[in-house]
Amino acid sequence: MSTLRELISARYVLSALAFRDIRGQYRSTLLGQLWSLANPLTQMLVYTFVFSFVFRVQSAPGDPSGVDVYALYLLCGLIPWSLFQSAVTTGMSSLVTNANLINKVYFPRLVIPFAAIVATAYNSGFEFLVLTVALLVAGSFVLPWLPLALLLVITLLVFATGIALALSIANLYFRDTQYLLGVVFQVWMWMSPIIYPITLVEERSVAVGPLWGTNITLLDIYSVNPLVHFITVFRELMYDNRLPNLPDSLACIAWAIAALAIGLFVFRRHEKRLAELL
Amino acid sequence: MSTEVAIRVESVSKTFRQFSERNQSLKSAAMRGRISRYREFTALSDITMDIKAGESFGLIGGNGSGKSTLLKCMARILYPNHGQITTVGNVSALLELGSGFHPELTGRENVFLNGAIQGLTRKKVAAVFDEIVDFSGIEPFIDEPVKNYSSGMYVRLGFAAAVAIRPDILLADEILAVGDFEFQAKCLSRMNDLRKEGTTIVLVSHDIHKVSEFCDRAAWLNQGKLVAMGTAPDVTERYLGAAEDAARDAAGS
Repeated sequence: MSTLRELISARYVLSALAFRDIRGQYRSTLLGQLWSLANPLTQMLVYTFVFSFVFRVQSAPGDPSGVDVYALYLLCGLIPWSLFQSAVTTGMSSLVTNANLINKVYFPRLVIPFAAIVATAYNSGFEFLVLTVALLVAGSFVLPWLPLALLLVITLLVFATGIALALSIANLYFRDTQYLLGVVFQVWMWMSPIIYPITLVEERSVAVGPLWGTNITLLDIYSVNPLVHFITVFRELMYDNRLPNLPDSLACIAWAIAALAIGLFVFRRHEKRLAELL
Repeated sequence: MSTEVAIRVESVSKTFRQFSERNQSLKSAAMRGRISRYREFTALSDITMDIKAGESFGLIGGNGSGKSTLLKCMARILYPNHGQITTVGNVSALLELGSGFHPELTGRENVFLNGAIQGLTRKKVAAVFDEIVDFSGIEPFIDEPVKNYSSGMYVRLGFAAAVAIRPDILLADEILAVGDFEFQAKCLSRMNDLRKEGTTIVLVSHDIHKVSEFCDRAAWLNQGKLVAMGTAPDVTERYLGAAEDAARDAAGS
């Protein structure tokens, strides 16, 4: 609660810093904001070529939307993933990039990672817009599902914020954190049902059977990854056009709350010493 | 001038960790089996002082005496290990001019950013925007990105933006030594205006004459300890005397 009050009282700094990041980022570029599309679109083209054309991965048609375009199926995983990835990355490094401010001016420190994440979210808004239009063109009637999808994206951002807060402090002690994160993200992405449908994992899980004589399955271990739930829910809303299943939705909320609680705890314990740690 | 206290410093101590070895990478930490090896360095020890509302207060002392650390503690950038500091009213810290500026943004955008960092609303900054530009004297360049500014223009805009709205407490570290002579005079006169309007000013400076002229009272710090506190002319005179003695000793021996 005190955190919320602090952020509200500091809303002008928050928006000014976010605005600075947004305006500063694509200054002196010719294409500006369009650059934010470059990454997901190239990835989409490459992955579609490799997995849909070469490896012939079959994604199930949207139920009930009936959309059956692998590229869009992919984007419904890739875009939330890349939002998550860049939110954590920029949030984590925000303290180091704003070292100058932290050393010279006082304002609530919590504002810094929050502003970085708000700016990232704003920048990715464009990607979500393009995705929505593409889905509409392909025949998925996404409009009624947008409010829920927005809610899910916010939950994902809360989850990312929690992780970023904790990592931003870790990065002050060990600058390895940022490099380690790059490696972790690679594994994490391939361990999430972005490029392939989760049904393939389910099939393998059934074929392998319960592990080590317990009733834990491969799918259970796979589902420890929080992103599995976020991406499943996002796809159900946007690609399938149906109400997301309850267990996955609850898992998203639980992960977001847990991550935020831990992140805030870590950040609060160290925020007074930021100027010394930098 | 009222006798209310604007800044109360109560037995404040601040120690830093002086790292003889700091493993900022996991590899070196794991290999040596510890994150760091350090000894404590006392930057401030048991400082107590009251600064009254509306007064101008100078902090003097040699390099490493702890005066900037004390100022940073007052500005809440650093936190004391012991004791506490209470301030009444809004605090504006001028530790480095234009420190919040973003090189890619224009002067205009940066003025608003700087205001927001100081806790001002957009509306409040907009109300004094023309004054800021006027004071800085860089009007023709206000819509240029500040990365194209000369360092003089940078600090001019920084100072103008920082003092446009009167803070209750102004903490300033060596800021009277920026810009050309003409701008320095302008800064000093603006500081005098602020003082007349009732702003409490804490000034850290090596320019002893400016401190003795400008400040009502002063404190002399040496190696983190309070050596003397009193009226500015008294304290600066004692400080200069001690410095001359030390110089003579050094020359004589």
